[in-house]
Amino acid sequence: MRRPRFQKVISDLWSNRMRSLLVVASIAVGLFALGVMTTIYFVALGDMQRGYAAANPSNITIQSSLFDQDLVKGIEEVPGVRRAEGARLFSTRLEASRGEWIAISIHAMQDPGQMQINQVQLEQGVWPPGDKEIVIDRYKMPQTNARLGDMVTIEIPSGKTRQLKLVGVVHDETIGAFRNAGGFFNAPVQGYINQETLKWLDQPSPDRFDTLFVTVEGDSKDTAHLESVATSVRDKVEKNNAQITSAMLRSSDEHPNLYLARAVLVVLVMIGVLVVFLSGFLITNTLQALLKQQVQQIGILKSVGARQIQIVSIYMLLSLLYGLLALAIALPLSLQVAFLIIDFLTVQLNTTFYGFRLVPQVILLEAAIAILMPQIAALVPLWQGTHISVQEALSGIHQDRPRKRGWLDRLIGKLRNLSLPLVVSLRNTFRRKGRLALTLVTLTLGGAVFIATFNVRVSLMDYIDRIIQYFLADVNVTLEQPYRIDEIDRLIKDVPGVKMVEGWAIARTELVLPDGSVGESASLLAPPAGSTLVKPIIVEGRWIEPGDQNAIALNELFRERYPNLRVGDTIRLRVNGDDKNWVVVGFYQMAGKVSGFSAYTSYEYLSTLIHQSGRAASFRVVSSQPGLNRSQQEELGRAIEARLAQSGIKVVDLTTGQSLSQTASNGFNVLTAFLLFMALLTASVGSIGLAGTMSLNVMERTREIGVLRAIGASNRTLMRMVLAEGMLIGMLSWFLASLAAFPISILMANGLSRSLFGGPSNFGFTPVGFAIWMAAVVVLSVLASVMPARNATRLTIREVLAYE
Amino acid sequence: MSSMENNGPNYLPSPQRCTGDALIEMAQITKTFKNAAGEFTALKGMTACFYPGEFVSVVGKSGSGKSTLVNMITGIDHPTSGSVRVGDTYVHTLSESDMSVWRGANLGIVFQFFQLLPTLSLLENVMLPMYLGGGFTPTQREGRALSLLKLVGLEGLENKLPAAVSGGQQQCAAIARALANDPPILIADEPTGNLDPRTAEDVFDLFAALIDQGKTILMVTHDISLAGRTTRTLLLSDGELINPWVASALPDLGHSQMLWLTHHLEPRVIQPSAEPPVLDASGDWLILVTAGRLELSGHSGHPDAQARRRLGPGSFLSSLSLQKEGGGRSSLNLEADEPVELLVVEGPEFQRWLSQNPANRLALEGAEWRPDQAVLEAASHSSSGWNS
Repeated sequence: MRRPRFQKVISDLWSNRMRSLLVVASIAVGLFALGVMTTIYFVALGDMQRGYAAANPSNITIQSSLFDQDLVKGIEEVPGVRRAEGARLFSTRLEASRGEWIAISIHAMQDPGQMQINQVQLEQGVWPPGDKEIVIDRYKMPQTNARLGDMVTIEIPSGKTRQLKLVGVVHDETIGAFRNAGGFFNAPVQGYINQETLKWLDQPSPDRFDTLFVTVEGDSKDTAHLESVATSVRDKVEKNNAQITSAMLRSSDEHPNLYLARAVLVVLVMIGVLVVFLSGFLITNTLQALLKQQVQQIGILKSVGARQIQIVSIYMLLSLLYGLLALAIALPLSLQVAFLIIDFLTVQLNTTFYGFRLVPQVILLEAAIAILMPQIAALVPLWQGTHISVQEALSGIHQDRPRKRGWLDRLIGKLRNLSLPLVVSLRNTFRRKGRLALTLVTLTLGGAVFIATFNVRVSLMDYIDRIIQYFLADVNVTLEQPYRIDEIDRLIKDVPGVKMVEGWAIARTELVLPDGSVGESASLLAPPAGSTLVKPIIVEGRWIEPGDQNAIALNELFRERYPNLRVGDTIRLRVNGDDKNWVVVGFYQMAGKVSGFSAYTSYEYLSTLIHQSGRAASFRVVSSQPGLNRSQQEELGRAIEARLAQSGIKVVDLTTGQSLSQTASNGFNVLTAFLLFMALLTASVGSIGLAGTMSLNVMERTREIGVLRAIGASNRTLMRMVLAEGMLIGMLSWFLASLAAFPISILMANGLSRSLFGGPSNFGFTPVGFAIWMAAVVVLSVLASVMPARNATRLTIREVLAYE
Repeated sequence: MSSMENNGPNYLPSPQRCTGDALIEMAQITKTFKNAAGEFTALKGMTACFYPGEFVSVVGKSGSGKSTLVNMITGIDHPTSGSVRVGDTYVHTLSESDMSVWRGANLGIVFQFFQLLPTLSLLENVMLPMYLGGGFTPTQREGRALSLLKLVGLEGLENKLPAAVSGGQQQCAAIARALANDPPILIADEPTGNLDPRTAEDVFDLFAALIDQGKTILMVTHDISLAGRTTRTLLLSDGELINPWVASALPDLGHSQMLWLTHHLEPRVIQPSAEPPVLDASGDWLILVTAGRLELSGHSGHPDAQARRRLGPGSFLSSLSLQKEGGGRSSLNLEADEPVELLVVEGPEFQRWLSQNPANRLALEGAEWRPDQAVLEAASHSSSGWNS
């Protein structure tokens, strides 16, 4: 049996395919954006935690003086310990190309094949490495310029080299786990060898370990439990006369880059909510226009006896069909794109991706939005549209035939030198104020987020600059052992272009809590009094001053972790096994979670404490020529190393100021790339909004276009009029987006900054985002207008004026 | 000529071939539309001409092709075959864009539903074609628009929006807009279709005034009374022009019947020196004089019948009238001093036409019982007939 109401719905859907396409696209784009974001939200974090846990990561990592396997066995008997393994970690250098040496951190295990803690996943080649073989982690593999099967050259303590065969490439998710946050991005190349190879590399006591990896029983997320077991483990280690230099605690689901993933999710949630809003506006706009075109039909329905509720139900069914069509398009597409992004993030964040799969929460959410949002968006315009009288509907008296000029029209009328066709465009733009407002909101917010992305990047880069303020030297040199500062100073200054040399004392320290337990490990840096190579950002108290004795300045992480800690308080720190009281003189801002816990004190005091007065292993060198670029700094570094080598002094690490900056910014590249993608997504919603509005505007004015044609308007005139309207909306939105970008930038920057650095950001802005969005808006406006403009010129007058 | 008086429409002349001074010439125009239901031919090989200074009405029932005819001239639509010349331009060869530009400069169009732009004031609506056409300088535009609004009686309302004035005022503004670029030709499609009679009268008077100023106006209407006030009327039916002689002589016939006659009437010429033909009252025939003057003589039994009867252009005579005038056999001799052109249908064809519709017989009979049947004067352009 035929059902006319259902037939009407189907024919409304099919008869004007362009309009249907617009409505479906409006819904689909919002669903797509939501689907992408929620999939990443549910999958990325989950896969990260799952992948990290699967590696069975160390919960307690203790670095100390050398110990043997017996201690490792003994640790396993400590209550709460599930398993313990020993390893030897040391840094050396690898020759990436002729004369170019890069840092490598080597993990040596007694039997890598039996390793159960911090497991790696083999990607290429073989695991475990055999004698005189090495396996390298995939992340910085490209820096080695080596391929599987190649012989790589490693520097040994004597300064000579050995060659190891590269037999495998692995994925190690724990990189950076036993360093401070940001450790992954700052980490050098990671290599894995066995104990025999360690011996062959002339490392002292190759059968002993300097790093203890421990996993705990029970819930590793229970901080109190973890600290309790850690205390027991430390006691055991210390009782065995091993001097602890650092201790890190980490739960089994706390991936080293979790902070970055969380920052990504902050962006996701912020922009996700925005996109849902924008999509709602877009759908409302489009459905309103659709219903306006249906006014006459609604009048006919009423005239043959349809009640309001019956008419509403017809159009609700139509909205439902639109929603389902949009779901059919958006759901599979969003899943595909989301997993592509997750795949990208997986590599960037060093996590595991468990592959494409259906995510029930995403499907349910998208389905719910697809069904509900068009219904909700259509309710108000539907109710209004069905509320008009039959006479009004059938007579074609439309609301867009004003009887009086509004203030805007009067203002436009005062612009005497404008051509009338342009006046028509201007008035048309503002004729449907509701639709214009919705379009502007969509495009403006999209543009504001786009611009804000660039500003947020500037804010993030500001943090990089802050880190650099603490490393202002051109070249940072670490020697194998401490040497007399004046001797090294003399040798280095032999190198042309060296202006200044400072010897710094550096030690690992641990906070001893009031109850005697050990808290955070921190890097303790000690520049000489009056050093100009540190320009601290003091947030409370003061910096270290000449003559300070047991004074210490702590970074902002201490304040976050210990909110009761104040300037003037005394804290107890363990340095080289000795516990001492220190007075907190100030707090400085570095880069929060990225830089980890750090503290500064005076060289004079610390060097005495660690029995290295007048000596240092760490030197900062400043060039006489300011503003060296990275390669110039590297060249200076090579010259310094060569000069020291001439005197038999071995350099174990050499980094340039520029490379530090670059390494620190690498982590943020992921974030800014992600931000840009989200901005583009948001901007796309806005663009479809503009395209939809322009198409609807032209569709609704076909009769007017016919009249213009009848009185002499050429194709060019019509195109110009439609394009002018599109450009005007675009430019208006750019102006509003530029204004809105400031608060949005601050909001986004602060949100990211809190999750990354634990504190609000310093707002930064760049004209680049504004300029790029301006260009994008021009292009979008033209593109969004061209098709409707072409369609307008192709309409024949007979069609649009519907003679006879 | 009394075309402006409220008489019936003047269907004559509509020459078969246009003379050289025709302002608009439509030659063998056919227009076929294709839609989901199939093909529909709205115009079937139509030829028509329009001359400077004419006020021509195009009438016909709904679907007869009136607006399609007008669309061919305005370029709003293009013929499937045939040609349309307006002035020196064959408009059917222009592209849409070029057509728009040409139209803006050479034609003024007045629509049934006014079609003013709702966001522009009346003044701005009138000025708009000047901007599009570029024929007046920016400083001239406003002044000209104001004077046009004054001409159509809208002085003081120039800053009103269309929705704020009455339908008649909107139509007057539309006429002013049509005159914006001073086109020689105005095309009006049902200009009074949406107006009350009084306002329609005002609009028509405006048109009449424009004719006096030298414009040429072509108006589509279904109002016969208005058509009667124009110079000349084209009557359309089913996409074809009805023979104006048929329309003029037999106005009470249905249009489809007129069209049938248009197709079946055959031209004949009676030379003065020839043996005059005899009309047999018992036969089946209808004759219509289109040129020359005919004298009929002969016996008819009716007491009122005249012994001699003169028939001039526009007059007709059928066998029915002879039969009615007197019973029995009668005959008429046709005599002419000059060549007489006739349209004749006879025999079975005539019978078939009579039997198609009883109203046909009544129309002939009704027309014949007017003993003072007027002899219509042919207009100066009359030549040999119509397009068939």
